[in-house]
Amino acid sequence: MNSYYVINLLIYAAVDAMACLGLSQQFGVAGVTNFGFIIFQAAGGYTAAILALPADSANGGFQSYLGGLNLPFPVPWIGAAVVGGVIALPFTFLVGRRLRGDFAAVGLLVTAVLMNLLATNYRPLFNGAAGLSLIPQPLQGEYNSQSTGYQWALAAVAVALCAVVYLFVRRITESPYGRSLRAMRDNDIVADSLGKNLLSLRTAMLVAGGAIAGLSGGILVSYITTWSPAAWGYAETVVLFAAVIIGGAGNHRGAILGAILVPVGFEEVTRYIPTTNGLPPNLIPSLQWVAIGLLIVVFLWFRPQGILPERKRVIRLAPLRPPAEPGPAGPVPADSVPAGSVPAEPGPAGPAPRAEAAAASALPRPTPPPTAEDVPGDREVVLQAVDVVREFGGVRAVAGVSLSVRRGTLTGLIGPNGAGKSTLLAMLAGTLPVSSGHIRYLGEDVTALPAYRRARLGLIRTFQLASEFKRLTVMENLLTSVPGNRGDSLRGALTGPRYWRGDEDAAIARATALLERFGLEAHANSYAGDLSGGQRRMVEIMRALMAEPRMLLLDEPMAGVHPNLARKIGGELLTLAADGLTVLMVEHELAIMDEFCDPVIAMAEGAVLAQGTMSELRRRSDVVEAYLVG
Amino acid sequence: MKFTSPATGRRRRALVLAAAISAAALAALTGCSAASSSGGTAAAGAPASGGAATGSALTVADVAPFSGPDASLGPTYLASCYGATAAINAAGGVLGHQLTCKSVDTRGDPADAVPAVNQMFASTSNLALVIGCTSDEAAAVVPIINARKMTMFCMTGQSEFDSVHFPYFYRLVPPDLEESYAMVAIAQQLHYQKIALAFGNDIGSQTFIQPAIAALKKAGITLTTDQTLDLTATTFRTEAEAIVQSHPDAIMTEALGSADPTLFSEIEQLNGGKMIPVIGTSAAISPAFFKSAASAVGASTFSSQFHADNLVTETSGPAYQAFSAALLGQQGKVPGATGDFTTYLSAPGGVHLYDGINLASLAMIMSKSTNPSVYGPDILTIGDGAAGATVCYSFASCKSLLAAGKAIRYEGPGGPTSFDSYHDSTGIFQIDTYSANGQVNVVGNLSAAQLRALSG
Amino acid sequence: MTIFLSSVGFGLVTASVLAVAAIGFTLQFGVTDVLNLAYGAVMIAGAFLAYLLNSHGVNVWIGLVVAVAACAAGSVLLNAGVYAPFQRRGTAPITMVIVSLGMTLIIEFGVQAMTGGTSVSYAMSLGPSVSADGFTLTTVQFVVIGLSVLVMAGTHALLRYTRLGKAMRATAANRTLARNCGIRTGRVITATWAITGGLCGLAGVIFAMDAGSFDATSTDLFLVLILAAVFLGGPGQAYGAMLGAVIIGLSTEVSAAYITPSYKYVIAFVALLIMLGVRPTGLLGKTA
Repeated sequence: MNSYYVINLLIYAAVDAMACLGLSQQFGVAGVTNFGFIIFQAAGGYTAAILALPADSANGGFQSYLGGLNLPFPVPWIGAAVVGGVIALPFTFLVGRRLRGDFAAVGLLVTAVLMNLLATNYRPLFNGAAGLSLIPQPLQGEYNSQSTGYQWALAAVAVALCAVVYLFVRRITESPYGRSLRAMRDNDIVADSLGKNLLSLRTAMLVAGGAIAGLSGGILVSYITTWSPAAWGYAETVVLFAAVIIGGAGNHRGAILGAILVPVGFEEVTRYIPTTNGLPPNLIPSLQWVAIGLLIVVFLWFRPQGILPERKRVIRLAPLRPPAEPGPAGPVPADSVPAGSVPAEPGPAGPAPRAEAAAASALPRPTPPPTAEDVPGDREVVLQAVDVVREFGGVRAVAGVSLSVRRGTLTGLIGPNGAGKSTLLAMLAGTLPVSSGHIRYLGEDVTALPAYRRARLGLIRTFQLASEFKRLTVMENLLTSVPGNRGDSLRGALTGPRYWRGDEDAAIARATALLERFGLEAHANSYAGDLSGGQRRMVEIMRALMAEPRMLLLDEPMAGVHPNLARKIGGELLTLAADGLTVLMVEHELAIMDEFCDPVIAMAEGAVLAQGTMSELRRRSDVVEAYLVG
Repeated sequence: MKFTSPATGRRRRALVLAAAISAAALAALTGCSAASSSGGTAAAGAPASGGAATGSALTVADVAPFSGPDASLGPTYLASCYGATAAINAAGGVLGHQLTCKSVDTRGDPADAVPAVNQMFASTSNLALVIGCTSDEAAAVVPIINARKMTMFCMTGQSEFDSVHFPYFYRLVPPDLEESYAMVAIAQQLHYQKIALAFGNDIGSQTFIQPAIAALKKAGITLTTDQTLDLTATTFRTEAEAIVQSHPDAIMTEALGSADPTLFSEIEQLNGGKMIPVIGTSAAISPAFFKSAASAVGASTFSSQFHADNLVTETSGPAYQAFSAALLGQQGKVPGATGDFTTYLSAPGGVHLYDGINLASLAMIMSKSTNPSVYGPDILTIGDGAAGATVCYSFASCKSLLAAGKAIRYEGPGGPTSFDSYHDSTGIFQIDTYSANGQVNVVGNLSAAQLRALSG
Repeated sequence: MTIFLSSVGFGLVTASVLAVAAIGFTLQFGVTDVLNLAYGAVMIAGAFLAYLLNSHGVNVWIGLVVAVAACAAGSVLLNAGVYAPFQRRGTAPITMVIVSLGMTLIIEFGVQAMTGGTSVSYAMSLGPSVSADGFTLTTVQFVVIGLSVLVMAGTHALLRYTRLGKAMRATAANRTLARNCGIRTGRVITATWAITGGLCGLAGVIFAMDAGSFDATSTDLFLVLILAAVFLGGPGQAYGAMLGAVIIGLSTEVSAAYITPSYKYVIAFVALLIMLGVRPTGLLGKTA
């Protein structure tokens, strides 16, 4: 029995699986749709080739190419991975900005075609359409590269590297950093508003995926000893995407399965169709492409999650334990006190009711509690808008608004439809740029600061429309907004679970307490997208609270919520305000304003009409008219 | 989006995963058992190279593109395989075995060619010979086939194979280098003073340019412009305009697929309705090319303005008779061979691979073995001919001479062979044209001396 | 100078084919928010349908009319059967692009499976050429330019003066609002796909006439030119598509006269990438 074919399949499977893992990491986990993916594999292949080949003049002179450094194994493979990662950097201009996903995808597709065109036509680069051949194989001088022993060894190395890549992407994905990636995938604007630096995340994924693809290209080139533009057209990218979609985007085992089924299985199976039939020779390959197209569309319709869908990450709720010793000086078990927060009030010993104590310590304590003589009007201004204007093509949605919000207040923002409330809120949060004017937060001018930076300073917003991370569980939703988790960086993720376990457990404890406080602990491990409208609202608010905000910007938080629940949420907010949290809340329910908000700002037609308590506003004729008319 | 409950979902997924992996593994392993080769009874388990079991059929594999831009090449070679093996089988076969043909589609790119060839070795139990291997895939597959110690007769003109030693590699077609010289020699013979170049940007065509430029210089012919055609583009108006503006006497070109026909029609249009004479390469001698070119500018216009170089092939005599009878007998039986079948009588793949199959078969008989390591040297003996060898022109006649104990030299429709140390044999060139009905005519000859005068 | 003039002539022809195609593509996107990457495949299907008739002796201009009708019907089916159901499910735009790539494979290689891999051309006379100082165009090319001008004028008239056109513009701006204003958006969408599908078929046939010879994969690169023209002018803007087509058509052909012609598409690609990076709303679109 001829084992060369099995070896061939094995190496191709390893290379394709590696490429699919890289693509799945970009597309399935981080939501970066990289239609130019094949360029990175091609770059890796070419790099490995020109590093391994001798100088072109010494190689018979009939190929012309750059490089030709004749470097020994494993340098060509290392170079392939490095170059694959480095050339990802220019692509960030397409995916980093706020460009529609489909536009960015088109740009990447076009870039792949462009690169292929350049490589084909510019001969001095990589020998044009003929490509590079007679590429030396690893350790070719020492071993007979055509013997079965050598080839099995090469296959084993390829499979081993594929396993390494698998562990690498798994480690990234199963970490707080991976959770942030998935949050970005599910709703990037919301992730941005919770402090995630989208550009940095996407760049990291492009580079990581590019390096993986580059390595796969290097291995492939070492096996087949040639590389030409015909081997990496945009069709190859489509095949890889089909593999990831069918196998299961976002599931790493799914990526491997997809690689085995599509580029290897499907393409190889067609070789077995006997060729003596009277069919025209072009028919089978054409039908093969039709089949791949059909598979893509059919899978996206019937089973978009793929054969192996993304697993649900079930997180055990951290049990609450009372402090081992009452009293301020006593050591407190780690999981009932969140890391870095102020310890429970000094005072007489005596166990406070467990849930209350833990819950109280779970909630954010950004500033010292106010003293008794505190008067709202005397407190410092946390957020200030100075003459803020927003224009949309000639229409002034916000026409010169100036307002101040003081610490510890629950300020309401009301107004009829079209008054500009949500627009103003968006500008305050940074998710929308101002046309003119200034915004000051904690004394600093933050007008030019992007949303995620403001979030890291403690300015957190919620959204009017449903904005939970649908494919994350409720618990995961809450955990994403935790700032300062050591595992929420690439380096932290790669260092491993032992490094960030502490921070993670502390966050889980806080989240558990919050869930119990809001009564949703039973749903902790349900997908947020499966909850009812009111429950999703609460998840959003809890998520905002988990971010340790100093100031909350809430956009209609009670919309669609049962009045009892609304009252409960309002009560929670009041408690938090008493502890120093500042809230600015847009609401339509005037009863809520009555009960909870002081002061209240009334807007109409893009400008502030008046400010005061609800009862004061009700007495003003201009406010009443704006509501009747507007 | 609905998510199934974890337990049933997991079980189902595990089953699907297991099924998928077993299917893929099965597909791979079946490659090692009963062959899927066309026709014939194939014994399972016999090693690829080594003695074949008595009575079983020997396979000749056509490793070439059957799909993609060069899809016309595979069927051309298959036609000659069918012709040659039919004649061999009619004369009693080789050492008691009948011969059968198999096509192996490389899809025109190296990454696909490698698994195709590996699968061929895994699934073909009585492989005796490989033919084909064009420039699209040769660089990738020749080392593999050579390592498996299988004889191959290749069609690639790439310069790599002019001086790299692969013991199992044989080539009966000239390197592209020589074809460039032949084209320039044609230009000389037709007294053209100014030539424009228009070559495609693919592997096979790129290699003509530099030698052609050098040869034109040596011949004292002016190069008016050198245009490279992107084979994926659909119009070449700018290139055509540049060519027309440079006022050449003729154009030297090779740009396969739809590129050349498009170029011709645009040149004609921009040149006030008059087509400029064209000198093409041997790749233009194919029914598919004639069909496209004729529909682009009209059959009579095209045929009156077109010349191509081609390796000398006989058009009469005993070798040609045998060849023509064998090949034409396969008309209509070769899958994918469309167009005028008689063109295969002149197509390089048609003629020289027929010779290659005959040479290999006769070598097997002479060495009494189907093992390429054993019969290989006899190919050279029969091709070059030892001193005092009798010349024979067909498999049947050569076989009977061998049976009578005589030393032979095979001379087929491709003319006499003369292998150098790299197993390359190039013959002399002739000048071909088409008639308006697509028939190929030989209108002149080029001598080796003419070519040598142009080489650098 | 003659090379320059003749390349301007070629540029006008390319721009004409591109304009017809780009207007259809951009209206599909504007009204239904789908980047229909299968547009090129439908074009070549139309071209082959006309070829099928032509190879049986039918005049290619009749074949053109048939192709227009068939592509109109086919595009309506494509949207109603594939894109609209996905959109109703709330599919993300990026997934819609992948769906349209899948449809491209099905249509393009379906055509290739039926017609084979070799290239073909129409049996038609190109008519006498008109030459002026290097600027050479055949009659057919003049007809193509004329058709394109007609299409542009017709589009202008449709969008500005007819009720359907206004309904299309309203639906493109805000579908929900349009429906609330009493516009029957379902019908508008069907009509849009029918009209743009017809334009697609027309573009396919005149593309094939202009190309000399074509096969099932000939429109792969042309689709990129369409995208460049559309994004240059502003996606969803019909006038932007016209402007973009003229700029791209002329610049690629004129540049080919001065740099190596193999690279002429590079200009279009680079223009597209720059627009996406700097101003995705296009030259005629409004900045967000």
